[in-house]
Amino acid sequence: MSLAAGFGRTARRLGQLHEDPAVVARWQAWTGPLLSRLTPPRRRALLALGALYVVVRRPLKEMAPAVDVRAPAGPLAGALVVLLCLVVVAAVYLAARHFASLPAPVRGRPQLWLHGGFWAIVVLGWLVPDRGGVVALTLSGLVLALAFLLWRMGYLLLSGQRGRMAGTRFSDHLLYLYPAYGGSGVPYGKGLDHLARHEAASEEALARSQLAGLKLLALAAIYHGLLALMAGLVYAEPRGPWSVHGLGVPRVEALLPAGARAPWAAAWSALYAGLVWDVLKMAARGHEIVGVLRLFGFNVFRNTYKPLLAPSVVEFWNRYYYYFKEMLVDFFFFPTYVRRFRRRPALRMLAATLAAAGLGNLYYHIVFNDTFLLTLDLAGLRPWLEARSFYCLLLSLGIYVSMRREQGRRGVAATAPVSISTRIRRITGVWTFFALISIWADASAATFGQRVEFFVSLFGFR
Amino acid sequence: MRQRHRERVLGFLRTIQKPDRPFDTVAETDSLVESGLIDSLALLEIVAFLEEHYRIDFAAIGLEPEQLTSVSGILDLIERESR
Repeated sequence: MSLAAGFGRTARRLGQLHEDPAVVARWQAWTGPLLSRLTPPRRRALLALGALYVVVRRPLKEMAPAVDVRAPAGPLAGALVVLLCLVVVAAVYLAARHFASLPAPVRGRPQLWLHGGFWAIVVLGWLVPDRGGVVALTLSGLVLALAFLLWRMGYLLLSGQRGRMAGTRFSDHLLYLYPAYGGSGVPYGKGLDHLARHEAASEEALARSQLAGLKLLALAAIYHGLLALMAGLVYAEPRGPWSVHGLGVPRVEALLPAGARAPWAAAWSALYAGLVWDVLKMAARGHEIVGVLRLFGFNVFRNTYKPLLAPSVVEFWNRYYYYFKEMLVDFFFFPTYVRRFRRRPALRMLAATLAAAGLGNLYYHIVFNDTFLLTLDLAGLRPWLEARSFYCLLLSLGIYVSMRREQGRRGVAATAPVSISTRIRRITGVWTFFALISIWADASAATFGQRVEFFVSLFGFR
Repeated sequence: MRQRHRERVLGFLRTIQKPDRPFDTVAETDSLVESGLIDSLALLEIVAFLEEHYRIDFAAIGLEPEQLTSVSGILDLIERESR
């Protein structure tokens, strides 16, 4: 017991190193001249310089899977996409800067206009015959590159809507629109409002932020190591270490097409192992991005914070992919919550949850469905859409029920301590919920019916 | 007036706080979420409370969650919207 307590104390101390005044002081002494030179404007300028590279690199990277820039018209199309993206970003910046003078309908629903503009380009792409010409290639590339910028431009407009553009320059916004610190379609660190709120203003705060960033980068390296170990020891993948001793647990996507014929034990172990794998992968990537942000003095929340220890579904959702959740909350949950069913609290929360975790979640993934965006392939979209819609529905309902239960547990009266067995039972329930609904989120080519068969076979129905 | 609002808001926050959290150790400007006193879900209840008791229309003024994460932020909003 004392050994465990000692281990726990050491782990806690290591985890809080960046808050230890002695460690912070030592870091300040060690990096002294550098810290004093890295003032907030200079740190922003460094990230803006990095953004200039990303301005060119990112659109080309986003369009590459579907648009061949080596085709005869490719290089010109690539250059046009880079330029047009910058033009769109500048236009949205100007709209945000002069938000008060925008037409009333745009001021009322700026996000709808932004997404409307994006879909107008998508439709234009569908209408232009695909003959490999510059126009078709440029439109295709633009659609894919703008999908990456879409939610970031959403945060830019939100800044304008909230009157937070004063005193900010275009270069300040470039740092998250074209993030040199990396990221996916989801803006890690959100927009400039959020970043600025967590920006270190003093040398000591910068030292603390950098230590916290280094901790995340170290954790990311550990998680990458664990992923490699898991690939070998759990999945027995030839590239993983000690794969000859591996358990040979199958990947979920390999089992799904088998439907009810998937072996029972293999199916359950694949689901739980898949959940741990996804969490580790998400945490490793997110820690790298947030770690770099913290090195530059933006001491923002982690993207992933111990979701496997979450005692409720809503807590897991909050801790697993924080910036995706925040994005859905900012653009779907709150707008629905403040407008709909204000006199009916339960329905109001259900509607907002369905709007965010359901509709918003589904919409986000449609925006990144390259094949659909470029070809309007509805037949190809259907199996994916069926599975994904069902996943989003289950997720929304799970979150809603969990939110209602959590509300009931709050307040000063709810002071009864939770026993370890209750805690373990809750955590197991959360693992099982997310492992099970992942059946419909997996990118496998399995049909909806095969996924349902797979699901019912887990409980002995074949 | 602010003091009266403050007592009312604190009284409400006690009904939605997490169990076993020392409310009195949190300063007025501290983030209630970051200090662990309330979870992010509680923001919804703060919104509903402000709508009901102070007639604040978030659909009209827009909702900035960050405004509602500290006692002083909530009080500032109440004062601004009561004018």
